[in-house]
Amino acid sequence: MEGTSYLTIAYLGMIAALAIWTWTVVVRSRSIETRLEAVESSIGIDVSQADEFAAQSSATVQDDATV
Amino acid sequence: MRRRIPEMFLGIGFVGIMTTLFLGLNWAPSVSINAFESPAAQRIFYWHVPSAWAAFIAFGVLFTGSALWFFKRSPFGWRLHVAGAEAGLACGLMTVWSGCVWGAAEWGTPWDWSDVRLNTFGLLTLLALFLVLGRQSQPDGVETRDTFSSFGLYGFVLVPLTYIATRVWQIRHPGPVIGAGDGGGSLQSSMALVLLIGALSFTLFIVGHMMISMRITHLEQRLEHAQKSLDGGN
Repeated sequence: MEGTSYLTIAYLGMIAALAIWTWTVVVRSRSIETRLEAVESSIGIDVSQADEFAAQSSATVQDDATV
Repeated sequence: MRRRIPEMFLGIGFVGIMTTLFLGLNWAPSVSINAFESPAAQRIFYWHVPSAWAAFIAFGVLFTGSALWFFKRSPFGWRLHVAGAEAGLACGLMTVWSGCVWGAAEWGTPWDWSDVRLNTFGLLTLLALFLVLGRQSQPDGVETRDTFSSFGLYGFVLVPLTYIATRVWQIRHPGPVIGAGDGGGSLQSSMALVLLIGALSFTLFIVGHMMISMRITHLEQRLEHAQKSLDGGN
């Protein structure tokens, strides 16, 4: 019985850790999306331009890399 | 709808992991008391093996991403690197933790410093920890990405080493139960079924996590660029 109790505690700990990690990541993703929409709308970038803007953003680091 | 695919993967994967646990604890047959010191603890195998499988997928993604960034300067490669490191750390910790629980019950000690597989896998997890914490503490830039990518590339050598460790230097960690190649390592069909459900669930779960992680990195880059524009820096 004692061994099974330890095993249950170990499982519950891992399930809780997985759930917390997943929750944190999903919340972080949604929070960044909201912030991004606010910033992009304030500088007049609409959704259709956003991907182009993202490509520019990636290209900035890439340009630095090829200098 | 397309943006919700990773979250669907996460949800289905999580439900699958819970199902695996339920089946592993209630349905899968018990192992022989003659073969194991702690037959109850052996059921952690249905968590330990699939999480190790998912960790290897994550380390494979980390290696691919590191190579794409290092040799091709691909931003997509960098996002793969980040996602692979985070997923590798999470799955690595789950594998190590579940292994320690089993080791404490079966061997009487959670860790054996003389066992090659335990130590190479532990090093892989520490490498992922270093990459995740290092990236968070350094400003993003070419030098930072090059440094971490080179660690991702060289660190991958530990993956095949970990895979062959129990075949070449079996010290304490049990040998392979599937694909042993010598006619050994056979599993009962019900055990193999639970293990398969576990492997599929962990795979879906970790793929969902890596897709979300890649999206977060992408959004962070866009946000940084947009904020610079807002500040008049571009």
